[in-house]
Amino acid sequence: MIADILTGAVRSGTSVMLASQGELISERAGVINLGTEGSMLAGALGGFAVTVWTGNPWLGALAGGGCGLLLSLLHAVLVVGFGANQLATGLAIMFFGIGLTSFFGRDFVSSQIVGFNPVPIPLLSDIPFVGGILFNHDPLTYLSVLLVPAIWYLLFRTRLGIMVRTAGEREDVLFASGLNPRLIRACAVLAGGFLAGLGGAQLSIAYTHSWVENMTAGRGVVAVALVIFASWKPQRAMLGAYLFGAAQALQLTVQQQGWAISPFFLFMFPYLLTLAALLLVERRKLSRTPEALGRVLAGDPGG
Amino acid sequence: MSLNPSPSVAAPAGARSAAAKRLLSWLRQLLVLAIPFALFGLFLLAYGVDPLELYGSMLVSTFGDLYGFGEVLLKATPFVLTGLAAALPAKAGLVNVGGEGQLAVGALFAAWFGVFYLGGLPAWIGIPAMLLAGALGGALWGLAIALLKVKGRLNETITSVLLNYVAVFLVGFFVHGPLKDPESFNWPFSPEIAPTLRLPIFDGTRLHVGFVIAAAIAAIVWFVLARTRLGYRIRVLGSNRLAAERAGMRIGRMYFWVLIAAGAIAGIAGMIEIAGIEGRLRATTGANFGYLGFLAAMMAWNHPLRLLLTAFVLGMISVAGNTLEIGSGLPASAVTILMGLVLFFILGGKRRRG
Repeated sequence: MIADILTGAVRSGTSVMLASQGELISERAGVINLGTEGSMLAGALGGFAVTVWTGNPWLGALAGGGCGLLLSLLHAVLVVGFGANQLATGLAIMFFGIGLTSFFGRDFVSSQIVGFNPVPIPLLSDIPFVGGILFNHDPLTYLSVLLVPAIWYLLFRTRLGIMVRTAGEREDVLFASGLNPRLIRACAVLAGGFLAGLGGAQLSIAYTHSWVENMTAGRGVVAVALVIFASWKPQRAMLGAYLFGAAQALQLTVQQQGWAISPFFLFMFPYLLTLAALLLVERRKLSRTPEALGRVLAGDPGG
Repeated sequence: MSLNPSPSVAAPAGARSAAAKRLLSWLRQLLVLAIPFALFGLFLLAYGVDPLELYGSMLVSTFGDLYGFGEVLLKATPFVLTGLAAALPAKAGLVNVGGEGQLAVGALFAAWFGVFYLGGLPAWIGIPAMLLAGALGGALWGLAIALLKVKGRLNETITSVLLNYVAVFLVGFFVHGPLKDPESFNWPFSPEIAPTLRLPIFDGTRLHVGFVIAAAIAAIVWFVLARTRLGYRIRVLGSNRLAAERAGMRIGRMYFWVLIAAGAIAGIAGMIEIAGIEGRLRATTGANFGYLGFLAAMMAWNHPLRLLLTAFVLGMISVAGNTLEIGSGLPASAVTILMGLVLFFILGGKRRRG
């Protein structure tokens, strides 16, 4: 049973994990993007549609990322270009994404795809207990796990990473170095949108193998919250995402065990857990918030 | 203090050419609202729908007869209240989208009290009691956001969206469980409330007095914001938090009560949905009304009275969405694309006078 929950944690947590890694890049550059929800939906539909048309899930995943990126372009233009309120703009993109995908998605509701399926890694997947949990997943999941150290390296060990983080902390420094902080921010938002779209595509192509209206059900918002929970550290965001995934996986397990817990409380649980996680780390993290982001979250003018 | 049409600006910048300035601001806002309609028209053309015909029929069905007008007002009523639930915190500098969940919990409380406790009461006491129950439910949900904001220092936007999902599941639990109608043949909805608890209806329409309640609350919110000391303090807090801090305002307390008041208002919207239209609680009662209210508030630049107008426009668009679905086979969700476009132009057009 515990193995089931842990396997499920990785399975259903991966989409949130990808989105939260993307959001992490964006927030490190000082832009919070609640439109992540919209980007995930766009990615889920775009990825699914392309997989239906071409039969190739890799093309689908790429298209999903592209769709997520396109929606985040709106965020970049409005927030970085026009100085619009980040939180309100993110919400607008979330609504827009819901409307857009339910409009264009109605033709795909009953479509079927092969998509990505679990590929057990030889030898490793035979290890009792651990093998099934860690080494029997779809290719996108393996990729997402590799992505986490890659993003960590990019952010904390490369020049590019310093530029991104500086955009979120002290944009004057970038300015003084002859770099355009707005351009860097916009790129960070777009990278975040791509990964959110990829996460959405993972959800539709690899996890559920279907498209359902509004299928992300708040996973994008959770991804944003998890980044804050993670104190803007990639590895902790990964942990948070799997925690959310485990809370989701609990639903199936409880149903299988036949325990008398109302499914509605189980549905609520992942969101409440996210809130509790946020509350738990809140006190310790203030100094770690990227400065530009701190202003947005506190609601100060000029964010 | 004069009526100030620009919420994001600290204070009226003196009286110089105020009339011209106001005219310019109105024109600009009108343009920002007109462009999305034009773009959506192009979108409709691409799908073989004549936008002029649709917009035309939208106007005719709204203003053509009393029934159509009533239908639009009926749709607009919850948008006014959930819009206030977004606009009032926005005046204090908060981005609150909790209206969705607060409406749901308000509807839950209203239905709960209506079904179990208020059925035998005469209308003149039963309806106000049910209204209070709805307000209480919404306020409790607002309390959660307020506590997380003030005590937990969590950003209200993120918590309110997360709690919206929780609220939907909470209502789901009740209509599938303790509040389920025993005679419903397993459909998930509550028993019907007593006829005495239904809001009175205007002759010749389906419109109920809920719209009057919503308009009155909008007027009260406007009065408090524009004409009282409390409202002035809220607006100072919203336009410059540091100034409010320096002036010795107790910011946490103001955030706290503003969020709770917003919750209560959205909760009343939930009660009106139950007592005015549905008569019973369903899992889908008021779905998306909170988000549409947020949109209405943004379209009105968070001005409580202009909100009446924008909620009306959104009501027209919602009715038009149904027309679109019946007339041309495009799904009603097509109009959410229009609503999204409207939002983007408002957000992009907001930077000014910097």
